[in-house]
Amino acid sequence: MPMLPPDKKAPVSVEDLLRLKAAERPSAEFWSQFERELRQKQLTALVQKRRWWHELPVVLSRRVYLPAGAAAIVAFTLVTVRYSGSGQLAQVENTAPRIVAADPAVESLPATEVSLASRSHEAAEISAASARARVEHDNLAPLAVAISTGDMTEAVGLLPMPVSRGSESPSARSIAANLAHLEQAEPDLMNTVMGSRLSPARVMVTTAGLEMDEAADSAPTKYRLIARYADHSLTPEPVAPALVRERIARRLGDDITERISRVGVEGSRVSLKF
Amino acid sequence: MNLARVFTKTAITTPERKQEADADFVIVRQVQAGDVAAFDRLIHKYRERVFGVIYNLTSNREDASDLAQETFIKAFQAINRFQGNCSFFTWLYKIAVNSSLSHLRKNRMRSFFSLEKINEEGGSAEVIDKLTDRRGADRDTYLRELQEKLNEAMQKLSIPHRTVITLFEIDGLSHAEIAEIMGCSEGTVRSRLHYAKQFLQGELGQYIRS
Repeated sequence: MPMLPPDKKAPVSVEDLLRLKAAERPSAEFWSQFERELRQKQLTALVQKRRWWHELPVVLSRRVYLPAGAAAIVAFTLVTVRYSGSGQLAQVENTAPRIVAADPAVESLPATEVSLASRSHEAAEISAASARARVEHDNLAPLAVAISTGDMTEAVGLLPMPVSRGSESPSARSIAANLAHLEQAEPDLMNTVMGSRLSPARVMVTTAGLEMDEAADSAPTKYRLIARYADHSLTPEPVAPALVRERIARRLGDDITERISRVGVEGSRVSLKF
Repeated sequence: MNLARVFTKTAITTPERKQEADADFVIVRQVQAGDVAAFDRLIHKYRERVFGVIYNLTSNREDASDLAQETFIKAFQAINRFQGNCSFFTWLYKIAVNSSLSHLRKNRMRSFFSLEKINEEGGSAEVIDKLTDRRGADRDTYLRELQEKLNEAMQKLSIPHRTVITLFEIDGLSHAEIAEIMGCSEGTVRSRLHYAKQFLQGELGQYIRS
């Protein structure tokens, strides 16, 4: 490293040294190249489309952020209201008008309340379905008890009955048709089986603007039969007719005779024929 | 054009600076009106000063060239946003300094120095004469060594301190202008300047005589 000349007497400060830095300047060739490159970049910048986020400072500097913020708040509010409105739709079941359907054949069962949504058809269907499920559940409990005790007469009476034609299932229609056919073919037997349960029919379906007659019109065949039996004031415990008793006695006698004929006794042996 | 409103907030201290700022603003208005070629006059006027401040901050010739070009491109793209609240010179310097600081922060670990030749005209020749009486190759070797020592000492400064001493001592800006460019108070500028000088005196002690 070259040493500083020892005979130097003029003071040198930091500012003097920094002035040397200011004297560092590039050559003329550097500036010509600098200008060429700058021109090229300038043209590229003119052609190139600027991205939207580059324009954000311009937009913000124009003080449009207040209306933009207000618009964003309004949009957020609208979206929130819209979503909360759709959420309220699910709660319509609790505020819907009700259908009260009482099973005419089962007086002991509590009246069933079916919610029907007036604002939404879907909500009404969901509500009616849940009510039907409750009815079936309530009906099946005593039905199971009746079956277990062997009281089939009571069990038939406890069979769940459809509320309206719209909720009538194919099996229910089949059962109703069979009952109607059985009623025509064997009215006495039908009376025996259904006698204790054929109390005056009462179908009460109340909705907003839906009257009793309309419900009766739309009731299935079984309800119409029940209503007809109710008009006849059936006795709760009818006595079986003589013809039926005779048939039963004859059938039991034949059965006993047949069983006896199959048993043979020969000396010390007893034989059975199957 | 109403220039009375213009530069009310600016840190222009001397009448020459104000006159220069007014002339620049006229050119800027022309560019804003669509006269793209008018911007070339601003480039020619400020390219050396912009390159100088960036070069003294980065101590790298190629980086300084790229950043100076980038500074002019940014200024050209944002020229419509310039409302004359400060002088065009201050505004351009602000872009240059911010670009340099961003570059230095990104390339903190990189330090490739490339030196320009000292132009021995004006005041610099007198300083060199004070430092040495050598002639010919010895003189060039000595100046090269001094340049390297200066660069090393500058690079040891923190970026804010380096910026302050570059703008004040090398580019000759006032405290108020530096404060506006750097976005700090004048007191902060003075404090940083004092600290930076003390540090450089310690680093370059063998070249300094009182």
